[in-house]
Amino acid sequence: MTTVTHEVLSSAEWAERAPVLRDEGWMLLDLHGVDRLGLTGDEDEQRRFEIVCHMLKRADASRMVVHVGVEGDPPTVASVTRVWGTAGFAERETYDMYGIVFEGHDDLTRILMPDDWEGYPLRKDYDVGKIVIDFKPQPFLQTESPGQAPSFGESHVETDALGQMKRDGDDE
Amino acid sequence: MGGMNDYYGANFVTTNLDKLVNWARKSSLWPATFGLACCAIEMMATTMPRHDLARFGMERFSASPRQADLMIVAGRVSQKMAPVLRQVYDQMSEPKWVISMGACASTGGVFNNYGLVQGVDQIVPVDVYVPGCPPRPEMLLDGIMLLHDRISKGEYTSTRTAVS
Amino acid sequence: MSKTDPRVGEIVQRIEDEGQGAFVESYDPDDEIMTINMGPVHPATHGVLRLLLELDGETVTDCKPIIGYLHTGMEKECEDQNWRGAVTIVTRMDYLAPFFNEHAYSRAVEKLLGIEVPPRGMYIRMLMSELNRLTSHLVQFGTQGLDMGAMSAMFYGFREREMITDFFEMVTGLRMNHGYIIPGGVWEDLPDGWQEQMDNILEVMPNRLNEYQDLLSENPIFIERTRGVGTITAEECDTFGVTGPIARASGIDWDLRRDMPYEAYDELSFEVPIQEQGDVYARYQVRMAEMVQSVALLEQIVDQMPDGDYKNMDPKLTPPSRSELNRSMEAVIHHFKLVTQGYAVPEGEAYFAVESPRGELGVFVVSDGGTSPYRCHVRDPSFYNLQSLPVMAREGLVADLIACIASLDPIMGGVDR
Repeated sequence: MTTVTHEVLSSAEWAERAPVLRDEGWMLLDLHGVDRLGLTGDEDEQRRFEIVCHMLKRADASRMVVHVGVEGDPPTVASVTRVWGTAGFAERETYDMYGIVFEGHDDLTRILMPDDWEGYPLRKDYDVGKIVIDFKPQPFLQTESPGQAPSFGESHVETDALGQMKRDGDDE
Repeated sequence: MGGMNDYYGANFVTTNLDKLVNWARKSSLWPATFGLACCAIEMMATTMPRHDLARFGMERFSASPRQADLMIVAGRVSQKMAPVLRQVYDQMSEPKWVISMGACASTGGVFNNYGLVQGVDQIVPVDVYVPGCPPRPEMLLDGIMLLHDRISKGEYTSTRTAVS
Repeated sequence: MSKTDPRVGEIVQRIEDEGQGAFVESYDPDDEIMTINMGPVHPATHGVLRLLLELDGETVTDCKPIIGYLHTGMEKECEDQNWRGAVTIVTRMDYLAPFFNEHAYSRAVEKLLGIEVPPRGMYIRMLMSELNRLTSHLVQFGTQGLDMGAMSAMFYGFREREMITDFFEMVTGLRMNHGYIIPGGVWEDLPDGWQEQMDNILEVMPNRLNEYQDLLSENPIFIERTRGVGTITAEECDTFGVTGPIARASGIDWDLRRDMPYEAYDELSFEVPIQEQGDVYARYQVRMAEMVQSVALLEQIVDQMPDGDYKNMDPKLTPPSRSELNRSMEAVIHHFKLVTQGYAVPEGEAYFAVESPRGELGVFVVSDGGTSPYRCHVRDPSFYNLQSLPVMAREGLVADLIACIASLDPIMGGVDR
């Protein structure tokens, strides 16, 4: 089995540790954010965000996962683009999705969303943005006489929180 | 039914001229390269020897919108891509048609969230919707043949009216 | 330039201060760098990739990839589905290698659940994975030829792909984006007659692969266009987190199937092709050799396929069969809970990576003990491989850039997610 080491660091420790790890032969595979709102248990707003870095050392086939706590408003952490080039795109994506600012990054702009997008999509308080399923009125089905099929132009299908259909007049 | 008929009145010459023009238009529709995601792979597979789009005269995918007649929107359209889609559609010259290939292009598909435009018909007028995720090449061919029927009857962009 | 670029403000200020002639006087005839936009709608950018090129004549001095034109919000969508339903979202990320996405995700969830997959399930997963590796490399072979003008490569490559997608359709019901490999095993057992289909494929593949070698490998034009083009060294691969055939073509001897074996890859014998030059031709050779190795692996898998369960039949995980629903009340309750809510996964986080045709594809899942993923992040190889494009394309021609992109094999669905 491959050995996996876990480390939990603060932002300042991460800035110091990263070059050391690179010199030991660790390769940065992935850097992304996690929004722990509702996960930590205690209402500690400061430890809401963290970034997770996955590393690989080929020489002895081992992996490392580093959790770096992110604090402040806006949440700020040191950038490691000078240490590993991998972090270039990864930190931009984390900024785009979570709003975590990386100090020392050359070009911290949005990468996946349009440049003028507002909000940080992967945060837990950002809505998924589901659109209610709404059938367009069908001209050829407009019929009011009883005994005929209901006119679909009048009713539309809404889904509630569980994704199940609500019938007209259900929630009044 | 559109074309010469409406301008010069229906007589032997104009109706047959219309039929000729429509037959020519449908026999070599040139699609614009608009493969976005997974449906693009199935669109490529439709041009390959097994399903052979070339028998319809459509194997020449035109990278330049000016020379393209048909835009097959194959794949999901994200918020960033929507203005690009509209720009390419505007740059195509008349007559032009749009096939919305796949569930994501037709209605947003499997994904109902902030990132995707829920159906490409919010941006461009669509002639044929081909459902599927992704649609089999045969389904795309069926959609194309449906479009051919429409073209031979003379339906094209300027005769479309908005649905109120 | 985007609206938020600070240079825009400076330019506007200069025009206001000095009038429209501000820039005409500062024209420097020796500075011939031209900035050109390539994409996102372009026949040779492999999907919706946009490149900002800085050209000095025909030579590329810098190339900046701009991505995000296919961003689907998949990671947020996964948080809205249950654990079984998220497979259908994850599978559409790297759409040329759907089985690998599902595999990595299922393995990560199984780590959290703490369950084992029976041997037959493992072998079926490997079977589908290796077939998927073949289809992905065939499409790459085809598009590489197409981008360089060798259109025949496209037709030949897709011919074999059709045979394999017929097999996929026989087993999973779909040609692409299957949703077949789920946490616990695979969704359905292999149907009767699968062995004959596989024998047909394996009988034909070695000859066809030799045909491809005849098509392109000795072709002098192909060699001229690819040898020495787009070179990347092993150190640069490590800096940018590049894995997969690109790293192996630069001399890095690393393959997850051999070095960190998962499923039953340690029971099979295969070689890992390595090249040293790191150019486009080396990557082409690595992928051709990988296809040959995949065929060898497939022969072993078909021979050694064990009998038994195809997935972990734990009733808390797998809906019981229809006949049982007639007999047992417990089965009905389990079925109801699994279909409406899905199963709950214990708290924790897990990362699992597989060797996909583009490199290391990993999935990181966080669970809060509920029935849907709290966080599902996919480490897509194309996202990181794409960062090495400026390094490869520097000081080359635009035509070389096209060859580099084709050899990088980026799949924008994985890059943008």
